[in-house]
Amino acid sequence: MQNLNIEETKYTPRIELDASNGTISIVGKSYPENTFEFYEPVMKWLEDYFDGNAQAETKINLEIIYFNSSSSKLFFDLFDLLEEANDANTIIINWIYDEENESALEAGEDFQEDFENLTINLISK
Amino acid sequence: MVTHENKLIAEIEELKKEFEKTTDKLIKDVKRQDKIMSRSDKRQQQEYDELQKKFLEVEALQREIEDTQKEVVFTMGAIGESRSKETGNHVKRVAQYSKILAHHYGLDEKEAEMLKQASPMHDIGKVAIPDAVLNKPGRFDEEERKIMDTHAQLGYDMLKMSDRPLLKMAATVAYEHHEKWNGKGYPNQLKGEDIHIYGRITALADVFDALGSSRVYKEAWDDERIFKMFKEERGEHFDPQLIDIFFDNLDEFLEVRDSLKDVH
Repeated sequence: MQNLNIEETKYTPRIELDASNGTISIVGKSYPENTFEFYEPVMKWLEDYFDGNAQAETKINLEIIYFNSSSSKLFFDLFDLLEEANDANTIIINWIYDEENESALEAGEDFQEDFENLTINLISK
Repeated sequence: MVTHENKLIAEIEELKKEFEKTTDKLIKDVKRQDKIMSRSDKRQQQEYDELQKKFLEVEALQREIEDTQKEVVFTMGAIGESRSKETGNHVKRVAQYSKILAHHYGLDEKEAEMLKQASPMHDIGKVAIPDAVLNKPGRFDEEERKIMDTHAQLGYDMLKMSDRPLLKMAATVAYEHHEKWNGKGYPNQLKGEDIHIYGRITALADVFDALGSSRVYKEAWDDERIFKMFKEERGEHFDPQLIDIFFDNLDEFLEVRDSLKDVH
């Protein structure tokens, strides 16, 4: 399976989806004009990955400094997808936030609350 | 019959389960949406507050910068004045006269106000003129006159490196305030509208005030004599349009002169 890398832009994060070692990372800001269109290849990649291409353990690092409300919705959809894959896979999610970034922490807490079956670590840096 | 009925019930039961699942999901989605919205509202509020705070800070800094510029320019003007034979409120009056001329000439309020602040620096180059020449009592000989006349170039050289609009303007004023409309001024013998309007304005303002003030070496000219000279120098020393503005708005100039009299 092909890896997927998307360079960081002013409005979008750096995205690295690595199928060979099972690591996924999304780092940066997320407030594109058309959020769902932007993340479509990412969601598609994840579906393919968990459809028989996943490693024994999948590690997901999310470090989102700034995000719009569409991105927030998108992350819920992403966690839905992960929750579904969680039964058949080992998935560890690290939600990394700056301790001064209250909104990032709150978002992480919301995800923990809504997705009790997922392993979501809140990591302050 | 009974079997048939049971089957229908079973189907409805199945539908009910599906329906419950779907409504549960819908409720979950709506709740999630509400949460996203309220989080987002909270965030927007914080962001807007933060922006407002930053805007105020930027405004305060902007004011600070402008005030500092004004102070620097005014102080430099005062230094220039201390090195020249002009005294008292000369610099302040020249500033006001320049603004009146700029205003009636058609420069906008901001530019006229800037010229008011920049014009007092016209003699800043005199700080680099040797004391022996500068403080010489009586008339200058030809050599000394030449040295004195370098103050326009010197002032320009001091200010020209700046990128600050006000100091750039002051550089132009220093450079061109001794040019004459007929091309017989210095340092570059510029003619007519080749002389920047800032230079033409300050030239008139400076001469009007110098003539009307008394000095150790000369009496103040009376108005009659000044006006006669201005009429003669219309289109010679001075921009004819500025001379017309001067006479058309004489009251304004005399008012400034009265309110900023030198105290002896």
